Amino acid sequence: MVQPWTEDFMVSFWIVVMGFLVVATCGLVGTYLLLRRMALVGDAISHSILFGLVVAFMVFRSGGTMVMFVAAVATGLLTVGIIEFIHRQSRVKTDAAICIAFTTLFAAGVVLLSVAEVKGPVHLDAECVLYGEIAFVPLDPAVEVLGLVLGPAPVVRMAGVLVGLLVLATVFYKELLVTSFDPALAKSLGIRVGIWHYGLMAVLSIVIVSVFEAVGAILAVAMLVVPPMFAAQLSDRLPVRFALVFLHAALSSVLGYQLSVWLNCSPAGAMVVVGALLFLLAWAVTRPRRAAFPGWMAPN
Amino acid sequence: MMKDFSTTAPPLEVHDLTVAYDRRPVLYGIDLTVPAGSLTGIIGPNGAGKSTLLKAVLGLLPLSAGWVKIFGGPLAQNARRTGYVPQRESVDWDFPVNVMDVVLMGRYGHLPPGRRPGRADREIARACLDQVQMLPLARRQIGNLSGGQRQRVFLARALAQESDLYFMDEPFAGVDAATEAAIVDLLREMKARGKTVVVVHHDLSTARDYFDRLVLLNVRLVAAGPTAEVFTPELLQKTYGGRLTILSDVVQSLGEEP
Amino acid sequence: MRRLGWFVALLVLTTAAPVEAARIGEMADWNFGSQAARFFSLQDPSVRYALGGSMLLGLCCGLMGAFLVVRKLALMGDALSHAVLPGVALGFLWGMTKNPAAIFAGAVGAGLLGAVVVQWIRATTKHREDAALGFVLSSFFGVGIVLFTMIQNLPGGAKSGLDGFMFGQAAALGPEDVWLLAGVTVLALGAVGLFYKEYVLTSFDEGFARSLGWPVKLYHYSLMLLLAFAIVSALQAVGVVLVSAMLVIPAAAAFLLTDRMGAMLAWSAGFGMLAGAAGAFFSFTGRSLPTGPFMVLAAAALFVLALLFAPKHGMVGRLWRRRSRAARIRRENTLKAIYHVMEDGGFREEVVAVGNVAARRRETAVGARREVAELQRAGLATEEGGRVAFTPEGWQRACEIVRNHRLWELYLTNAAQLAPDHVHDDAEVIEHMLGDETVRRLERRLNYARRDPHGKLIPGLADLAAGAPPSERAAGFAEKGAA
Repeated sequence: MVQPWTEDFMVSFWIVVMGFLVVATCGLVGTYLLLRRMALVGDAISHSILFGLVVAFMVFRSGGTMVMFVAAVATGLLTVGIIEFIHRQSRVKTDAAICIAFTTLFAAGVVLLSVAEVKGPVHLDAECVLYGEIAFVPLDPAVEVLGLVLGPAPVVRMAGVLVGLLVLATVFYKELLVTSFDPALAKSLGIRVGIWHYGLMAVLSIVIVSVFEAVGAILAVAMLVVPPMFAAQLSDRLPVRFALVFLHAALSSVLGYQLSVWLNCSPAGAMVVVGALLFLLAWAVTRPRRAAFPGWMAPN
Repeated sequence: MMKDFSTTAPPLEVHDLTVAYDRRPVLYGIDLTVPAGSLTGIIGPNGAGKSTLLKAVLGLLPLSAGWVKIFGGPLAQNARRTGYVPQRESVDWDFPVNVMDVVLMGRYGHLPPGRRPGRADREIARACLDQVQMLPLARRQIGNLSGGQRQRVFLARALAQESDLYFMDEPFAGVDAATEAAIVDLLREMKARGKTVVVVHHDLSTARDYFDRLVLLNVRLVAAGPTAEVFTPELLQKTYGGRLTILSDVVQSLGEEP
Repeated sequence: MRRLGWFVALLVLTTAAPVEAARIGEMADWNFGSQAARFFSLQDPSVRYALGGSMLLGLCCGLMGAFLVVRKLALMGDALSHAVLPGVALGFLWGMTKNPAAIFAGAVGAGLLGAVVVQWIRATTKHREDAALGFVLSSFFGVGIVLFTMIQNLPGGAKSGLDGFMFGQAAALGPEDVWLLAGVTVLALGAVGLFYKEYVLTSFDEGFARSLGWPVKLYHYSLMLLLAFAIVSALQAVGVVLVSAMLVIPAAAAFLLTDRMGAMLAWSAGFGMLAGAAGAFFSFTGRSLPTGPFMVLAAAALFVLALLFAPKHGMVGRLWRRRSRAARIRRENTLKAIYHVMEDGGFREEVVAVGNVAARRRETAVGARREVAELQRAGLATEEGGRVAFTPEGWQRACEIVRNHRLWELYLTNAAQLAPDHVHDDAEVIEHMLGDETVRRLERRLNYARRDPHGKLIPGLADLAAGAPPSERAAGFAEKGAA
C-alpha cells in the first residue's frame, strides 16, 4: 500500500488543502442555493460557463484570472437571464427553462471550441470539464509574497476566493438570510431582492470558474449540493450549517484523497464519493427524526 | 327495509384511524361510519385534518394505525365504486389537455390498461359535462377556465366515474356564487339517486343548509351524526373554540420533541 | 401492428424527405456543395447511419421528453444522463472490453437506481426535488469518474472513450448503434401507444390516479426505465449533457404550440427528428464538427421560433393581441368622446368639431386628429374640414360603449352599494370588456333602467337599431320592442 503522507508529503498536503478550499467555498455558496431551492441553477451555470470561457479565450487569447472571472460572471448572469426570460415570457416551467438555457449555451460552447481547435489549440479539454486537474495543483509554481512562500498559485487563488466569500457572507449575513428565507418580507423591508439574487449568481459564477480547473464542471455541482445537504440534514441553524460545511470539506478532502490513492483514481472524483457517503451517514443518523411524506402528499 | 340496511355494509367505515406527519398525529383515533345515501360534510378549523382524512381514506397517505373499509372491503376491491374530486390546486392547469379529456379520465377506472375510451365513454362524458352546464366548453384547454368552471370540470369527471361513493375535497373553495348553487343542486341530485357523498367543507355558515349529516373534526373526531343533532353551539365550540382538548396540547408537544 | 407500420413509414420518410432540399447545397461554395451532395445522396453508409441514428434519437427523446416536461421533471433527464456513468464503467469492467450489452445493462441499471434515489431522498428527507436531483446527478457522476480513472490506470484499460461519452460523435455511429436506437424507439412508441391514457393521467393528476387504485409507482418507474433506455442509446451520439437537451428542448417547443397531449407528443417527436437531421447534416458538411451540439442548436432554434411565433402562446402573437386590444380601446374611447360632445349639445348636431373631441379626451389637437383618422380608417367615422361625424356602425359602437359604461356604474351603485363618485374609474376599464351576454344580464338585473347614477340617459337597444339619440319617450317603446 502506498503511504502518500510519508513518501511525498508536500504533494499530498497541497492536494488536500486545495480539496478543502474547493469544497468549503462551493459549500458556502451552495448553502444559500439550497435555501433558495436553486441547487440546479448551480448545475446550469457550471455547464454554460464553458461557453463564456471559450468566448473569452477566443477574444483575449489568454486565460488570465481577471478575464476568466469576468467571462464567468457574464455567462452566469446570461444563463440566469435566459432562464427568467423564458419563464416569464412563456408557460414553460422553470425546470425546463433551466435545461434549455444551459444545454444550448453548452452546445454553443462545444461548437466554438471545435471551431477554435481548427484555428489553433485552446487550453480546454474534455478532462478539464469532466474531473479537473487537482492532482497537478502541487506542480504549479509557488507564489511568494515578501519572500514568504505561500504555496502553489491555484491554492493561493482559491484561498483568496474563500476569504473573500467569508467576508461577504459575514458582512451581508442578514440581507442574504432574509432574501433567501422570505423574499416578500425582504421586499417590505426595502431590500432589493433582485440585486441580491443576481449578486449571489455572480458570486456563484466566480466560485464555479475558480474551481473549474481543479475539479471540473460536473464534480463542482457535487461540491455545491452535497455539503449543504449534509449540513441541512444535521442542523436547522444557518451558522451551524456553515460550520458543518467546513467539517464536511475537511473530512471529504482528507478521506477522499486517501481513497484516491488506494484506488488509484481521480482525487476530485474520490472526494465527491466520500462527500456523498458522508451525506448518507448523516441521513442514517437522523433518519428516525426526519421521516416525512413527499411534498404532494403533505396534508392540507 | 331495516333488514336490508343491516345486512349491507355501509359505504364507508373507519376504525381507529391515525395519521402522523413528522411523527406528529394530524388525525387521531377516528371512528366513523357513513350510511348509504347520505350527504355528509366534514367541517373543522384549519389544520384539523379534514383533507388528510379524505386522503387517508382513499389510500393516498399511509396510515399509522386503524383501518378503512369501503362497502365492507378494502379500497382496492371497490375502487370503481369510489369517486374523488381533489382540490383544484393539486393539478397543473397548463397541462395540455382539454375539458373533454379531463372528463373522460373519469372513465379510466372502468377501462383495463391499454384500452382507450370508446364511443360509449364519450357519450357518458358528454352527458356529465352537460349536467354541469359545461358542454359548450368541451374543447377548451383547461387553463382557459374560471375557478368555478374548473371545479365543474372536476365534478363532471367524478360524475363520469359513475360511482356509488364520492369524496370531494373543498369543492366550494374559491368558486363564484352561481357555481356554488349549481354544486349544491348537483349534490342533492346525487343524493336523490342514492349516491353517498362526503364533502370537506370550510364554511361553517352554509354547512347546516348543505348537508344532512356532519362530521366535526379537530385532529380527533368531535362528533358525527345528523346535522340537527350535531350542529349545536356546544359541539361547535368544542370543535373550533379555545383549547378545550388536552389532546391538542399533547400533539403540540409531540411535534416539538426531537 | 399499426405502430410498426408507422415506424416503417417514418423510416421511409427519413430517407426520402431530404432529397428535395439537395438544391440548396449546390448554390454554396464547391466544397460545401459536394459534401452536401454526398450527404443527401445517402450513398455513404456512414451518412445513412448518422442520419438515421440522429433522427431516431430525436424521435425517441422527443417522445420521452414530452412526458418529462409536462411532469415538471425536465431536469430528471439531466440527472439520469449523468447518473448512468458508473453503470457504463461497471459494464466496461465486466470483461474489460467494450461489450455493448454489458455497458447497456449497467447504464440502464445505474439510471434506474438514480431515479429511485431521487424519489427516496424526497420521501425520507426534507430536501426538495432540486437538491435530490443535484445529489444524484453529481454524486453518481463522481462514482463514475472514480471508476473510469481506475480503469484508465489499469493495465490494458487506457482507452475507455470517456471523451466520446461526454460530447458524443454521431459520425461514429455503426449499424449496431442504429439498430439499438431503432429498438428503443419502437419500445418507446409501443409503450406510449399502449399505455397512453395511464401515462397521461398519472402525469396530470397523480392523486386521482391513485384513487382509482392504479399502481402509480409502476407507471412512474416504467417511464423512468424507458427514459434510461433512451438516454443510454443516445449517449453515443450526443454525449451526457446534450442528451438532456434533446429530451427537453423539442418537448418545450411543442408545449408552446399545442394544448393537447397527443399533438404535443407528435410535435415533440417531429422537432426531435428535424433537429437530429439538421445536426447530422451540419456535422457532416462542416469538417468533422461534433454532431450533438449542432442537433441541440437546431432544436434551440426551433424552440426560439416557437417562443416567438407560436399562434396562441408565442410572444409575437401575444404582443400583437395586446397592441390590437390597446388600439381598440383607444378607438372606443374616441367614439365615446364624440358621443359625449354630441350629448352635451343635446344631440342637436350630428357633426362635432375635432377640437371639442380633443378637449373632451384631454388630448392635443394633433393627437385628436390622429385618433379621428384612425376611426376613419376603421370605417367608424368620417372627417372633413376639422369636423367629424359617425358612420352608422360608429354610432352603434359608441352607443354600446356608453351603455356598457353607464350600466356598469348603475350596477355598482345598486348592487355593490358603492357611492356614485366611486364607480367611474372601474367602469372606464370594464366598458371595453363586457360581452353581449353580460350586458343582457345587467339589463335584466337593473330592470332596463334608463338613467345612470349621474342622471344621464342610457342608450338602449332600440336607439342602437334606430340610429337615433336616446330619449325618455323611446324608453317604453324599446322595452316593448325588446320583449
